Amino acid sequence: MIDYIKKFIADTEMVLRNVPAEEIAKAINVLQAIYERDGRIYIFGNGGSLALATHWVSDFNKTVFSHNLEKHPKRFQAIRLPTTEEELSAWANDVGYEMVFAGPLQNYLQETDCVIAISGSGNSPNIIKAVELAKTHNVPVIGLSGFDGGKLNELADIKILVKTEKGKYEMVEGVHAVILHLITKYFQDYFDHLVR
Amino acid sequence: MILVRAPLRVSFVGGGTDLPDFYKTHPGRVLSATINKFVYVLINPTPLIDKFTVKYQKTEFVSHPSELEHTRIKAALLDLNFVKSGLEIGSFADLPAKTGLGSSSSFSVALLKGLYAYDGKNLNKTAAAEAASRLEIELIKEPIGKQDQYAASFGGFNIFQFNSNNSVDVEPILVDYQKKSDLEKHTLLFFTGITRPASIVLSEQRSKIEQNFETYKKMADSVYDFKDKLLKGDLRGMAAMLHEGWQRKRMLASNISNSLINDLYEGGLNAGAWGGKILGAGGGGCFLFIAPPEKQNNIRESMRKIANQNQLTDFKEIPVRFINSGTDILLNNQHQTGLV
Repeated sequence: MIDYIKKFIADTEMVLRNVPAEEIAKAINVLQAIYERDGRIYIFGNGGSLALATHWVSDFNKTVFSHNLEKHPKRFQAIRLPTTEEELSAWANDVGYEMVFAGPLQNYLQETDCVIAISGSGNSPNIIKAVELAKTHNVPVIGLSGFDGGKLNELADIKILVKTEKGKYEMVEGVHAVILHLITKYFQDYFDHLVR
Repeated sequence: MILVRAPLRVSFVGGGTDLPDFYKTHPGRVLSATINKFVYVLINPTPLIDKFTVKYQKTEFVSHPSELEHTRIKAALLDLNFVKSGLEIGSFADLPAKTGLGSSSSFSVALLKGLYAYDGKNLNKTAAAEAASRLEIELIKEPIGKQDQYAASFGGFNIFQFNSNNSVDVEPILVDYQKKSDLEKHTLLFFTGITRPASIVLSEQRSKIEQNFETYKKMADSVYDFKDKLLKGDLRGMAAMLHEGWQRKRMLASNISNSLINDLYEGGLNAGAWGGKILGAGGGGCFLFIAPPEKQNNIRESMRKIANQNQLTDFKEIPVRFINSGTDILLNNQHQTGLV
């Protein structure tokens, strides 16, 4: 059992070491620009990645400011798509599952916004549909993918690829969560610094 | 209605190497950053007013774009064949024009991004920079380069490389907030109160590029050294490079500097600045200094004194923050169609 655990940790460590630091820095730059221009950040994914998207929204909208909430009247505007289960089921049932993100995204998307798309395989058709919509608006796309990056990594402006063997969702999703917390921590430190 | 915002910029090293007379032979390179001072362009369809209304320092009210005095708006409207009247264009800015912060090109980028959006088209950053460059360089024959259009369109700290085939490579410099805020704390920006169109200086500068070729080469190659210092937070090193660059630049055309500009610069250095330069083509505009915080009040006083002695009534300090935003459409409530 201990060996099993140690091997998992060692494998994850290897993957973590190869995370593309420069792309993460570029993502931070894009998010900084979005904050400066009062744009919104739309985040989405399937399954575990949808959970991460929701987590990200909470960390961005509150955690990064939480040491000095009252001193930051201007905050991030991160939104998980779709925003309600009702929309999710309506789009999936009435139009098709590939529209569950692109459908709601079209209601909101402005040119000052950005999109964070999360997909382990990088090939989920509903993710790609929404990314294509964002691209037609020239809205910056931050893509978090795994395995070989798939179509998402090709299309994204910021290519955060967590390279693994195909099918290693547990590793990809774990490292995606680390990247989310890295970016959250960066902005938390930044906003703390602004107050000091 | 469409509202577009474009930032002004501070260029640190390499200015002038974006002129084709140089980059056709050796890659030109400029390192610059956008600041939290903006130019705004507002475009509003006026179906019930059968005219072109253009509002800036003055207001023009004409039946056809060819009758406009505003050269950039006139050339852009004619080039895009926007000749159907019922259109209002307004221009707003945080700072006066001709300060050496690239405002005229920021205006052009915002204008074109807005006009294309009005036509239902969305220009990406490169396309917006290129469209503005074409407007200024080809259509209205300004003797300028492309660094300002790219800086305004992309936003943030960047190295722009101008290639002989006219393409431009954009390398963002990934500066973290601590280094950026440290640089801000050490940066002073003063508007001299002297305004001049860049074209006067640049025309002479261009005619002498061949004889100054080696100097330009050094300026273009120095961007990487400056980038390293920026990423390390080596403020003294950056200041020394600005100083060196300014000494070089003064030699490039007779009207880049004059005794008043020199006095202001020396005044800043004597009061404790580590280094600095004039921003923009030269002959006036803004001074940028890198200086330790404890000397900054000295420098302010010294500069103000020299400005007063020389009746520079518009002289003022411009507080500056570096930003990552480029040119953005802040509002577009036209009906959008065909997006999916």
